[in-house]
Amino acid sequence: MSTRNSNIIGTDRDYESLVKEDRVHSSIFTDEAIFEDEMERIFHKTWLFALHESEVPKEGDFKLLKLGRFPVIAVRDNNNEVQLLINRCRHRGAQVCEASQGNAKAFQCWYHGWTYDTKGELVGVTGEEAYDKTFDAKDHGLTKVARVGNYRGFIFASHSDEGQSLDDYLGPAKKFIDILVDASPTSEIEVKPQVVSKTVYRGNWKQIGMDGYHPHYVHVSVFKIFSKRESTTGSAVGAIHLEDPFSDSSPSLTRGFPNGHAALDFRFQRLPHAKDNMAELQQSEDGRKYVEDMIAHHGKEHAEELIAWHGDPHLGVFPNLQLIHDHIRVVIPVSVSETQVLMYPVFLKGVGQEINNKRLRAHEAFYGPASNGSPDDAEIFERVQRGLEGDANPWIQLGRGMNREETDSDGTVSARISDEITQRAQMQEWKRLMTE
Amino acid sequence: MAKQLLNAGSDVINKGIVSVEQQLRVERFLTYEAALMDEHEYDRWMALWTGDDITYWVPCNSDDQDPNTGVAVIYDDRPRLLERMMRLKDKAAHAYRPRARLIRNVSGVVPLSATKEELEVVSSFSLGEIRTGTENIWFGKCHYVLVDTSEGFRIRWKKVLLLNNDEAMPNLTFLV
Repeated sequence: MSTRNSNIIGTDRDYESLVKEDRVHSSIFTDEAIFEDEMERIFHKTWLFALHESEVPKEGDFKLLKLGRFPVIAVRDNNNEVQLLINRCRHRGAQVCEASQGNAKAFQCWYHGWTYDTKGELVGVTGEEAYDKTFDAKDHGLTKVARVGNYRGFIFASHSDEGQSLDDYLGPAKKFIDILVDASPTSEIEVKPQVVSKTVYRGNWKQIGMDGYHPHYVHVSVFKIFSKRESTTGSAVGAIHLEDPFSDSSPSLTRGFPNGHAALDFRFQRLPHAKDNMAELQQSEDGRKYVEDMIAHHGKEHAEELIAWHGDPHLGVFPNLQLIHDHIRVVIPVSVSETQVLMYPVFLKGVGQEINNKRLRAHEAFYGPASNGSPDDAEIFERVQRGLEGDANPWIQLGRGMNREETDSDGTVSARISDEITQRAQMQEWKRLMTE
Repeated sequence: MAKQLLNAGSDVINKGIVSVEQQLRVERFLTYEAALMDEHEYDRWMALWTGDDITYWVPCNSDDQDPNTGVAVIYDDRPRLLERMMRLKDKAAHAYRPRARLIRNVSGVVPLSATKEELEVVSSFSLGEIRTGTENIWFGKCHYVLVDTSEGFRIRWKKVLLLNNDEAMPNLTFLV
């Protein structure tokens, strides 16, 4: 598959010199040739989030994806396994599936009729007798994505045959993914391929990272609204307490993981509010049942933690996945200055309708093209992109809090919530992949 | 609202369920509402809504997305809509500043049904938006439940079907 060796449009830029520990050169956000290199060296090489297994629950269920430049069909085959197949006929290259999602027994190319089953095997060739005896349909199945891995239902893919295992790649970030999955009293979540807020901004894909420094400015209009409420149902599984989680005097942290993953770690800030969250849930029938079932499944102590954490890992998995509040976010680079952001609200299994309904409304309030949160992020990303086009003083500062980083026992690095550990972690992984 | 019109009876299409005069009143009202939205006159637009039990709904992903099982671009009751107004008016709501310049054409206004109090109406619009040097074109259909009051028509329920509601959307920086 595509690795650096097959890169036909590679540049000889010295990426080492563009990413320093405390700053990066703005050309990495604006240079089209660098974007082409990113596709080859990052998106066609490292692990990418593909989909959640619940999106294709039944045999034949499929969904189309874009993984780097590759159009991909994710389909559950007749062995109940999710196949990731390159959506490209092995005859002349037409896409064999155009519906964005659905259910199919087979995929037929409408150019000349070649047909593939849900494992990608070529099962029909129009006028096969005209091919040479050496032609073997077995050699012409749909190309499979080189490597596929699954962590608790999250399916990841790599276009490279070689490299780190998914387990090693995720490393200590796995326990943050657990925060979301275990917010369900059956440890099962549901993602629906047809329930997604799809947005686009005119800015580079690397802008949409984890940042604990921006909320007081970018989201000031929302804080004003919250200040007029008695409590907010920010994540719906209990109320987020009004104490400012973005204050450097709060116990909130930024956290950097190996391999470019990063989180805004609110665990210590939220934990003291567990009792309040439980009390709020006790006020409704579905809430009472949720608390009861969480304790039965996870044990009292852990259930209290999970409820306080709201199922919100606030985690970025490099390069294309974020788990924020109630949703799974997929980042799709379109060009050096255009990025799509797909936000899938996560439904908890094993809970009453009211819980998921509240989660949906909370998601809508902050995320989506007409919500009160993410449009201001998109607006600022566009302002940044316009500013970066001029490369006067081209270095972007990412050094905030370098003097107060702490290394934890699991090898992750943490500092105060407004510190730029998250950006530094992402950029160091970017440099590693771009220079490898 | 193509679907409602396709399913409408001949009384709706052929004869019409309201008088010509009433039809023109409805059209003037929707044109006025469009002008308030184009000019970002949020308080005056909000005053067009009547009662505590209102719904302002812009479905996402499909025109028929169920808000109990799917996400919406907008799904506001009165409290949520009032918070939206607060933000639209806030100078620090960056997505809305500078404000978009807008022109929309309203057409296809057809009353579908009437009770003593309520009038159900469909319409469609095309809208040009210019903001920060970029021009966007938006299309949509609207479905209303209006109430005729002594002060003119008022809105009780409004559903807006954006043509691009299943596509990656830029910021929706204005009312639809």
